[in-house]
Amino acid sequence: MATYIARRLIQGIVVLLVASLLCFIVFRFMGDPVITLAGRYATAHEVEEVRRSLGLDKPMHVQYVRFLANAARGNFGISYVTRVPALGLILERFPATFELASTAVILSFIVGVALGVLVALKPYAMRNRLIMAGSLGGISIPTFLMGILLIMVFAVYLGILPPFGRGETTQVGFWRTGFLNLNGISHLILPALTLAMYQLAVLLRLTRAGMREVLTEEYIKTAWAKGLSPRKVIFKHALRNALIPVITITGLQFGELIAFSIITETIFQWPGMGNLLLTSIRENDQPVIVTYIMLAAVVIITMNIIVDILYAVINPKIRYA
Amino acid sequence: MKKTCYLLIAIAVAVMVFASSASVLAASSLVVAQDTPPRMMNPHGDDSDAGLQYMANFFDGLLQRKGPDGTLAPALAERWERLDQLSWKFYLRKGVKFHNGNPFTAADVKFSFERLSNPDVSEFINTGKSITGVETLDDFTVVIKTKEPIPWFANNMHQVFIMDKESTESRDSGEVMVKPIGTGAYKLVEWVKGSYVRMEANADYWEGAPPLKTVEIRPVTESSTRFAALVSGQVDIVTGVPVELFDKIVKNPKLDVVSRPARRSIFLALNNKPGSPTADIRVRKAMYMAINEDEIIAKVMRGHAAPAAQIPDPPTIGYNGNIQRLKYDPAEAKKLLKEAGYEKGFEITLSGPNDRYVQDAQIAEAVAKYLAKVGIKTTLDVKPKSVFFPEVTGGKLDFYLIGWFDGTFDMGRTYFKLAHTRDDETGHGFFNGANFSDPDIDKLLKSTADIVNPQERGKVLQQLNKMAMVDKIAWIPLHYQEDLYAIQKGKGIKFQPRPDRWMVYKEISK
Repeated sequence: MATYIARRLIQGIVVLLVASLLCFIVFRFMGDPVITLAGRYATAHEVEEVRRSLGLDKPMHVQYVRFLANAARGNFGISYVTRVPALGLILERFPATFELASTAVILSFIVGVALGVLVALKPYAMRNRLIMAGSLGGISIPTFLMGILLIMVFAVYLGILPPFGRGETTQVGFWRTGFLNLNGISHLILPALTLAMYQLAVLLRLTRAGMREVLTEEYIKTAWAKGLSPRKVIFKHALRNALIPVITITGLQFGELIAFSIITETIFQWPGMGNLLLTSIRENDQPVIVTYIMLAAVVIITMNIIVDILYAVINPKIRYA
Repeated sequence: MKKTCYLLIAIAVAVMVFASSASVLAASSLVVAQDTPPRMMNPHGDDSDAGLQYMANFFDGLLQRKGPDGTLAPALAERWERLDQLSWKFYLRKGVKFHNGNPFTAADVKFSFERLSNPDVSEFINTGKSITGVETLDDFTVVIKTKEPIPWFANNMHQVFIMDKESTESRDSGEVMVKPIGTGAYKLVEWVKGSYVRMEANADYWEGAPPLKTVEIRPVTESSTRFAALVSGQVDIVTGVPVELFDKIVKNPKLDVVSRPARRSIFLALNNKPGSPTADIRVRKAMYMAINEDEIIAKVMRGHAAPAAQIPDPPTIGYNGNIQRLKYDPAEAKKLLKEAGYEKGFEITLSGPNDRYVQDAQIAEAVAKYLAKVGIKTTLDVKPKSVFFPEVTGGKLDFYLIGWFDGTFDMGRTYFKLAHTRDDETGHGFFNGANFSDPDIDKLLKSTADIVNPQERGKVLQQLNKMAMVDKIAWIPLHYQEDLYAIQKGKGIKFQPRPDRWMVYKEISK
């Protein structure tokens, strides 16, 4: 196990290096951030002075090496646009994204697996066919459309849920949470639903497929024959085995939701990291962009490792050498 | 079990009471959805109007611009005079206090102006570097000396905000970026990045406490979400209404639309390198006449723009009401092209940003089609502003779409940046991206540098403007944009938009 994790960590570092190098290559084509930073009426000399003060007059490879050296010490540079440390700027937005992504994942896992089991038990019932048809919609309607539809229905026509933002939030230590009051929770509902919809549909279909396969196995028949209660057969014997791929996908998706819920966050003006990334790309705020990409890579790599470890916990037959 | 149930009900009731009391408070408060979030709370770190408009609520300049006309008026300086070509004397207001209680004195003015030339904290480097020094004659008189004569120096003093020397120096530099301490009509209560900026009235404001007690600004960059926020009653005012949603808002009985001509004009810049087709004045005229601006306004701008015949807008010194647009006349354009020897047309690339101005890429597309009709093969090259503007300042383009307005309300500075022959030494022509160069314009422009009297300046600048627009066709003007706002009807909100698009909350009441 230990060697396995060590190997994964080394792989992770290589991925981080490649990702940051790609960022630096792309930056060369993103235009010159210095022009706006020097102000509208700056002369060419003044622009050069600002370029020097930011260290952008150096060749690209020198800039990259310096970035790596600083990053290794946890210093990811100062945002051009806001002039505060880029890492702090992103971490400040982390609670918002984390609360949104985790609500969406929990919602989609519970509802998705429950419906999946339900559908697997009686695949040909009318109600279950309708659920399956609905799940196709969940997979095929793109996030931005889903978000706008939900806003139109619940915020504009019915006027029962707020269309944007996080609402009232409470500062608890370093963490700013929206869970502690009704206003904050009401703001969470629409974006979390939007984000959960695709996930939910995928998990539902995955659970259904797994359950249908497992339910035909010999040991399930044995369990029924032994006269075990349906609850025990379905949940303990069948679902537990069907759940392994479901957990993999949930874990991987969770990492991705944290890192890339950009569209949902933009539509709902959710003050999370994805929203910040988009603004930073528009403003060409390169330190924030590269820090974000690095952070996203870290989150996804970590989720991968956690999922692998969870495998072993759920199914003791799996061993890592 | 029962106990927890009661407890939950009690909490729910408490929350609801709290929520409803918040809406009672709303009587003297305002919620605004802005299209641009603030970048920072450092008044010198962002020279865009989008950023300055936030700062104008927390800070004061030596002077201010009063809405809705943008007239220059005293603020932290009660009056001012120009001593000689290079020196400006400001008599400061007495008894003004910063939000932290520190008194405002000449030392704060000196400190703020010296801070402008530090690239780590300032985007006003050009203003900072144009000053040789700030002399404090006593606690309430300062003389600012400039390196060269700057006739529009005072006109720009509403953009340079005065900070508190003591607290800016003693506080951590990161805190200065997020917590403003100024003399302004509002104090910052809380800024949660990406969510809201909350401010409360400064009861001790030197102009008297502003009518609105609290203001909350929510940055909503996505235009359709901003629309939803307004329709669902979440906000009182929305700025930056996109032209495509305009009709929907007009039809909604709960909403009112407020519009005003924007200061910014959109125009096309052309090179006049010897040998290139556009060096011939007939070709420039032909291109001008080939473009059906009325149709662009009707179709692309959906009626929300006004035709322009020059770059500056009417309140600007140098605006010349006698300049007329050349008529749309493709037949005449073809004739002119034939005369110039381009009967079969020529090829040209039209560049422009696609994320900067209202419908910018669509306007460029329309222009390309009109030019094609008279035989000029136009290749479109639109790109993000972060890529486009460096090409402009690098002088790498031949033909491009750009927009401009000058915060000083004086055409002089604009012309030095846009029309003067490029000169890296002086910084003239920095935004002259097509390398336009005309000795007559340069000469006349230089002669305006030491005229301060607004009337005299007006005369010469009008003459210059006419020369550039009529005799030389330095640019092809298209239109002035229109600023659109939407507000909740029936809440008694009194709001008149300003020419510079700043939201200054002491001017709004409810």
